[in-house]
Amino acid sequence: MSERGLRIQQLRASAGGTQILKGIDLEVEAGRVHALMGPNGSGKSTLAFSLTGHPGFKVESGSVTLDGADVLAMAPDKRAKAGLFLSFQYPAAIPGVKVANFLFAARQALHPGDLPPAKFRALLLEKMDLLDMDPSFMGRYLNDGFSGGEKKRLEMLQLAMLAPKYAVLDETDSGLDVDALRAVGESVNAMRASETGKDTGFLIITHYPRILQYVKPDVVHIMIDGRIVKEGDAELAQRIEREGYDKIREETAQIA
Amino acid sequence: MPSATLDKALELRSGRERPGQFWKIDLDAIDFSSLQAAAPSDPQIVAPSKPGLIACGLETARRDHAEIFNGAFGSVTGTLNDKFAALSAALCNSGAFVYIPPDQSVDDPIEITYTAKNGALFPHTLVVVDRGARCTVIERIEGESADAVCGIAEIVAAESASVTYAAEQNLPLESQAFFTRAASPGKDASVTWCVAEVGAALSVSRIDVLVDNPGVDAHVNGFFFPRGDQHVDMVSTIRHNVGESQSQTLIKSAATGRGQARYLGNIRIAPHAQGTEASLRDDALLLSPRAHIDSVPALEIGANDVKAFHGATIGALDENLIFYMESRGIEREAAEKMIALGFFEPVVERFPTAAMRDRLRAALEAKIA
Ligand SMILES: Nc1ncnc2c1ncn2[C@@H]1O[C@H](COP(=O)(O)OP(=O)(O)OP(=O)(O)O)[C@@H](O)[C@H]1O
Ligand SMILES: [Mg+2]
Repeated sequence: MSERGLRIQQLRASAGGTQILKGIDLEVEAGRVHALMGPNGSGKSTLAFSLTGHPGFKVESGSVTLDGADVLAMAPDKRAKAGLFLSFQYPAAIPGVKVANFLFAARQALHPGDLPPAKFRALLLEKMDLLDMDPSFMGRYLNDGFSGGEKKRLEMLQLAMLAPKYAVLDETDSGLDVDALRAVGESVNAMRASETGKDTGFLIITHYPRILQYVKPDVVHIMIDGRIVKEGDAELAQRIEREGYDKIREETAQIA
Repeated sequence: MPSATLDKALELRSGRERPGQFWKIDLDAIDFSSLQAAAPSDPQIVAPSKPGLIACGLETARRDHAEIFNGAFGSVTGTLNDKFAALSAALCNSGAFVYIPPDQSVDDPIEITYTAKNGALFPHTLVVVDRGARCTVIERIEGESADAVCGIAEIVAAESASVTYAAEQNLPLESQAFFTRAASPGKDASVTWCVAEVGAALSVSRIDVLVDNPGVDAHVNGFFFPRGDQHVDMVSTIRHNVGESQSQTLIKSAATGRGQARYLGNIRIAPHAQGTEASLRDDALLLSPRAHIDSVPALEIGANDVKAFHGATIGALDENLIFYMESRGIEREAAEKMIALGFFEPVVERFPTAAMRDRLRAALEAKIA
């Protein structure tokens, strides 16, 4: 059991020749909620992409293990099969590929043969209902012409349908109206309350404490300039809302 | 053989320069005079029975329906001065005639299948749709041998008529296909071409709509996907000679292996054709480093009170889309396939009948595999 968790150790990564992550240490525990906050450009999305293996980001050193398995040695689809999920800050639109077909292919890839098409459809409808999504979305092309909020809901639908072990949500709460935010919060909580989702570990990347009122974080990590500079409990998110990042920058400048 | 018209056809230039440095075939160097034409034959024709509907071979058309047939046959493609249309006309050895009487609405498609065997095929399909009538024609071009096919499809649509003509060329990989498809819609008529160039080593095709009446709604939808050593040369031309009409052109293409292609999309709006609305969109996908597609939208706009726009894209598969799918557990190869098939879907969707769309999807899938 001691190997459980999504463990990131001394991760350094670069993009376009610039080092962005300068030694990240962070552990997402199974069944727990971690929040990752940090100013624009501090490297949060870079961390999410490095974890999931985006070809535009180069991991230079460090290690990432998922319940003991070496994540960095895997191709992106293998990382998903190992149980890693990323809710994209900017989800891709794929014209011509229908939502239902895509989700079925993804579900089949991750959980081969576990759901015949009729049961898959029933589950899909149930999860869509929970997210207040109209069933007509099933027949639409993936994210094609979706509004910003609709894209985020679709990311959450995929999270619910794919039941990963560890989920990184990159600013899923940005651009959501209050009702959508509540629906997303409820969807995550329903997942955490379910048998299949109770052990899922979350890394919620956000700028706002609002989402954290729905999904209470066990730990809050602060990233500044490619490093985790501070960790604390849920109160830390409130403090940042009140004070901004300058104070923390000053406090931690000496350490860095 | 009417050798005077044949001689004239042989002398005509194709008007198509070589599209690119890897393009291996000079269209003007092809020796058509040595082609062995097949014996005359009728295509297979399946048509719903409707009062007044005619669907028959050319001999029957000439004999029993001369009044409607003679005036229309060749009336559109004959004006194009096109080498391949002239060749097809001179050597015509197969064909079909479809006539829909006034105000008749025909829901089920009329299906015409040409099968090349024992010699070159020169088919001519003529569709005449009378005032206020509506129909869908599906033309399939297949081959039991690698013989060349050089054909014509012609639409004459009367006032307020509506026609969809979907052509699927799926000849054997060693054969050559030359097609001229032209429509002449009447006032307030609607014509839709759907063209799938799937097979043959060389496919040369031309799609025309002559907008000589107001109120016309013209659509050109097409796709092609050369793989291996296939060459495709497609030109579509909408001639807005009269205003207050609209047209939409949508072409999707991909190439893989050493596949070579050229698409030229012409929109010509005459100086007095005010109130024309024309759009042209063509997207090309390159799936291998040695594949090549030349995709050229060519808009000639003579009038000032018109809406015309075009959009063209060309490129490889988007790595961000592949990654998005991979991040959901879908293997790279499967992801590429889904994205490439999805790329064609907006145009495949416009083809009539579920059976045809499924056939086309399967043909595309086989090309990617
Ligand atoms: N391909 C690239 N080439 C060069 N620099 C890059 C590249 N990708 C990201 N960066 C830079 O890396 C830094 C971190 O970007 P990242 O997207 O990880 O920030 P973030 O913390 O997610 O910010 P935000 O809160 O705005 O989403 C930024 O300065 C960004 O410009
Ligand atoms: Mg970001």
